[in-house]
Amino acid sequence: MATVLPTRPNTNSTGTSSTASRNANNNAHVTRQPSLSSFPSNSKRSISGSASHQHTPSSASNPDSAHSYHSSLSASPAASAAASLRHRPTNASNGSGNGRQMRKARQQGAGAKRRARKVPSQYPASSTEKHVEYILVASFDIDRGSIMEHQYPGPVGGDEHMLAELMLPDQTHLRSQDWTIFFLHKDAAAEEDDDGAATGRRHTRKRRSRRQDAGGQAKAGAEEWGASGDEEEDDEDDGYTSEEDSDAEDPIDGPPLVYVLNLVNTKQDNTVKRGAVVKAMAICTRHSFLHIYKPLLLLALEQYFANPVVDTLASLYDAVNNMDLSLMPRLNANERFILQSTDAKDLFIEKFEAIIAQQMAARDRQAQLQANTALPTMSPREQNHLARRYGLPRDTHEFESVVRYANIPVPIKVPTALSPETVGDFSLIKLITTFSTPHTSSAVAFAPTHPHLTTNGSMTHPIIVLLNALLTQKRVIFLGHNLPSSEVAEAVLGACALASGSMLRGFTRHAFPYTDLTKVDDLLKVPGFIAGVTNPAFAFRNEWWDLLCDLSTGRMKISTKIDQAPLTEGVAFFHNQPGGGAGHHAGAGGGISALAAAGASLSAGLGGSAAPTGVMAGDPTGDAAFIASVLKAVEERHGENAIRSKFRKWVLKFTRLAAAFEETVYGASALHIQPSPKVPPSPFFESLAASSPSGPARKASEVELPSEVTGHGYVWPTPALKNAELAANATRVEGWRNTRSYYNFVQDLAALYVHRPVKNVDLQHLHDRLAKLRLGHEQSANIYLAICAAVYTEEEVSHLLAVVVNGTWDHRTGNMGQGQGLFYLVLGLFHPRVEVRDNIADLLARIQEHEAGRHFWANVGRFGPAASRNRASRSMRSAQPANQRSSASACRSEKKALPVRFRENCWHVVSDEHVYVRQTTAWLNVLSQSFEIGKLRWLQLGDQTAGHVIVDAKGGGIRFHHSLREGCEESPERKSLFSVEQRPEEE
Amino acid sequence: MGGSISKMMGKIFGSKEMRLLMLGLDAAGKTTILYKLKLDTDVTTIPTVGFNVETVTYKNTKFNVWDVGGQDKIRPLWRHYFSGTQGLIFVIDSNDRDRMDEAKNELQRIIQDREMKDALLLVFANKQDIRGALSPRDVSDAMELDRIAKNHVWKVEPSCATTGEGIFEGLAWLSNNVKLPAK
Repeated sequence: MATVLPTRPNTNSTGTSSTASRNANNNAHVTRQPSLSSFPSNSKRSISGSASHQHTPSSASNPDSAHSYHSSLSASPAASAAASLRHRPTNASNGSGNGRQMRKARQQGAGAKRRARKVPSQYPASSTEKHVEYILVASFDIDRGSIMEHQYPGPVGGDEHMLAELMLPDQTHLRSQDWTIFFLHKDAAAEEDDDGAATGRRHTRKRRSRRQDAGGQAKAGAEEWGASGDEEEDDEDDGYTSEEDSDAEDPIDGPPLVYVLNLVNTKQDNTVKRGAVVKAMAICTRHSFLHIYKPLLLLALEQYFANPVVDTLASLYDAVNNMDLSLMPRLNANERFILQSTDAKDLFIEKFEAIIAQQMAARDRQAQLQANTALPTMSPREQNHLARRYGLPRDTHEFESVVRYANIPVPIKVPTALSPETVGDFSLIKLITTFSTPHTSSAVAFAPTHPHLTTNGSMTHPIIVLLNALLTQKRVIFLGHNLPSSEVAEAVLGACALASGSMLRGFTRHAFPYTDLTKVDDLLKVPGFIAGVTNPAFAFRNEWWDLLCDLSTGRMKISTKIDQAPLTEGVAFFHNQPGGGAGHHAGAGGGISALAAAGASLSAGLGGSAAPTGVMAGDPTGDAAFIASVLKAVEERHGENAIRSKFRKWVLKFTRLAAAFEETVYGASALHIQPSPKVPPSPFFESLAASSPSGPARKASEVELPSEVTGHGYVWPTPALKNAELAANATRVEGWRNTRSYYNFVQDLAALYVHRPVKNVDLQHLHDRLAKLRLGHEQSANIYLAICAAVYTEEEVSHLLAVVVNGTWDHRTGNMGQGQGLFYLVLGLFHPRVEVRDNIADLLARIQEHEAGRHFWANVGRFGPAASRNRASRSMRSAQPANQRSSASACRSEKKALPVRFRENCWHVVSDEHVYVRQTTAWLNVLSQSFEIGKLRWLQLGDQTAGHVIVDAKGGGIRFHHSLREGCEESPERKSLFSVEQRPEEE
Repeated sequence: MGGSISKMMGKIFGSKEMRLLMLGLDAAGKTTILYKLKLDTDVTTIPTVGFNVETVTYKNTKFNVWDVGGQDKIRPLWRHYFSGTQGLIFVIDSNDRDRMDEAKNELQRIIQDREMKDALLLVFANKQDIRGALSPRDVSDAMELDRIAKNHVWKVEPSCATTGEGIFEGLAWLSNNVKLPAK
């Protein structure tokens, strides 16, 4: 890889970096779309993006500037509001015709951009970052204890002895082999020195042992903001646009961790004093997927036993650093989410294709360059190597490469989409099973309880207690007495991922996957840690931890010496709420006396027992239902990814609850960035207003968006449910609000917002509304149109797809709004209003063209044809009134004619669980006809009801099963929510 | 049934649980003693990385024995094991005359720690099977136990870890003395 460097003389060699000169270089080397050069102004330092507000409406129709135009909108809300105000009159006067043109243009712009865009590599060949920074060898000396034998290419720095101790875990003499993982924290000060200076930066870097900066990390995180911007610029050296660089979306708190994977072997050997040799070899890398190095370490340590010299380390070092990952495309945050949540093996294969094409083109150029300048050519072996690599991956979730070490080609699989806080190859399933099996067979009540931890009372599920402990930054210890240290390390890493949900950060940075008694003094200086130990001495010292998770027994224990939770305003606020049934918001109006009263009762009973309001008796947080669903998924062997995504949804929901909580209690939330409440300067609203004069609300809201579109955050069907849920979560939300992960999240939200493709509306909120609420035609139309208007470019489609896959866990409705793919969007095709159908059809077309969207489209199933038909027959329909139009087209195109003729008002009440539908709308009519006989589906039907529907051939009608959302008890019906019930079909 | 009998016995004679910490210089024979106690067999040990801990039941007393590696560098972490320890077993290689002073200093440091003030002290004068080993008397003199352990109940027990000689006698002594209000 290093040999590539000389052939690209212009990029990295200059230490001084002016953007202008760099752009010049880039343009010379890579054919770039000229207009893309405007991106850096708002991709970086986006606050300075006010210049882009100078765009006039006409420039917005210029395809290539579409994105910059769009994203500039919300760089600063006030400015964008002004900008949108300026735009609107123009658009309105142009009318809908122009609007549609603009829309088309924007879409084309997106398409054109996609074809032309360079796909950046996650690990460009020209990068100076090494895959592996150090190789270490330690051994246990019978006289001196743990000692470091070799460090290659140089000393890591810090306390060498401590490193050696970490490499030789307790009781390693009892087993022949063990793995450990631990982290090193890089000195924040050293990071600033090495900006840009490629040569010698390795040497100036100093490692500091991991404890030293533990205290000041939050501060370091804040200071790191400038540095992350610099990194972004570095990335541009490759000639790729960094407009949606994932790096830019992943601000780091403090310098990146150095992950250490360590293998220790104990060999009985009678020829040596006291009969055994214990040696360990470790790889220090910045890659969180450090498990890929396991086979190499096994080989190398064996080699080292045979040949204990530093050359053995050097050859491993060279081998791993020659690993070529340059063909692994970089994904942005939304794309990563999508890839992680989707099983399709060829998702984003386009990116792999593109990056291969780019690299081949680059090779050609280099060949020419070499011919001209007579630079040293590549060795034939290297060329061979390259040719072999140009193959598409079998599964785009993993990138395959090969490391040649000791004449053995070792295959390596690197995950394409990495989540923050996901280190190594732990198993959440294993972690969950370890602690839930004993709990299931004989639950032991937690004693003491703690309001932050036992949110469902003393019988709270241990996994929830663990989650709560991590979220509220407690000191958590995983103890695995007589277990290999690899097991405790995996548990710690799993716990970090569990609580992070790929969103929250600050867990791995304070995690000590393996540690021992020698470091306990330093460990205890860390406020809130997650540590793995094998020494049972930790169990006796309950002043050292808040939650002890014993991996051998599968039990958790809350320390009797845990700090009591302070009584906070939020907890008091909800404690003071009456019943929650009425759902009225008392506001903070209760005042001081209320707070004092709540305080008195709480101080007596802050036992973490069930939350004050009892709407959801027994499971106010919904966690019991959630865990049940997780366990069911584990039982049904849904796989690690499915489980991880369940917890991601849980964490996502938690953060959104917290946002709602803050807004309710404190009036505002740091977890919500208010988008511009104004109409996006997009033509559809004007066209909408023009074509539907019937909507009375529409006229009134000429200036402002309809209220259902401007909403944000978590969606509850009723205020009572909202109140109950917030009350149940009050203690842990308050516990979370002072933690590192909270502050990181606030920071991340702000950073992400800059890069968020869709800013003016909360897409997740809108999608949730569609999925969870019973909406009238007018409301749903507004939402559909708002979504359609916001989603044009590739990034925006990615955003929408991420929203669609994200969904959130809702215990009342099960999987509402998730796992359904585009279902709720496709439903818009059956909306009574023609412009909704048209817009949705256009949106779906855009999704179809998207490289990930096409997979979602494929999963829509039999809605697909309907949508196509809808789209195809749109022109024909245009003359007909809406109702007839849609039903006619659906009927016409349904291959198998429906045996039952649906007429208006033909449905009737069958039993209590069926709802009488008084008025059959056209929407309903079309919908019913579009279903196959005997299919059971979960639907949202206009303003009538939501429930699942059985199109019953025999009964000659549709039966609406009573919706859970209407407040009835859980019924067995719920279980078959998404299953297909086969009914006798009428020929 | 056996279980119920032992339970009854426990009720009559009182069953005790005792936390013991076994320390000593490296290669003194701590791990060999531990596994002799636990398994009653002579095991070949390799240097202990970190610690070993085993539960041994002997004469109605459950001994929770911690054996911590003795290398020079890891001795500072012994103190983490002090808390809650009722008896200290200090193992001495009776042939290692050169390091008797080193052993004395280590023992003094341990026994004078505040957290160990109530602990019984059992010194195993180990490796008695080797010719020329110091006698228990010599060991206690060399260790100046009269001086450094004057605030403790202590005993020197001659032992041979490989044969088990003296080991269980030592445990019996601990078991008999633990109920005494330790000075």
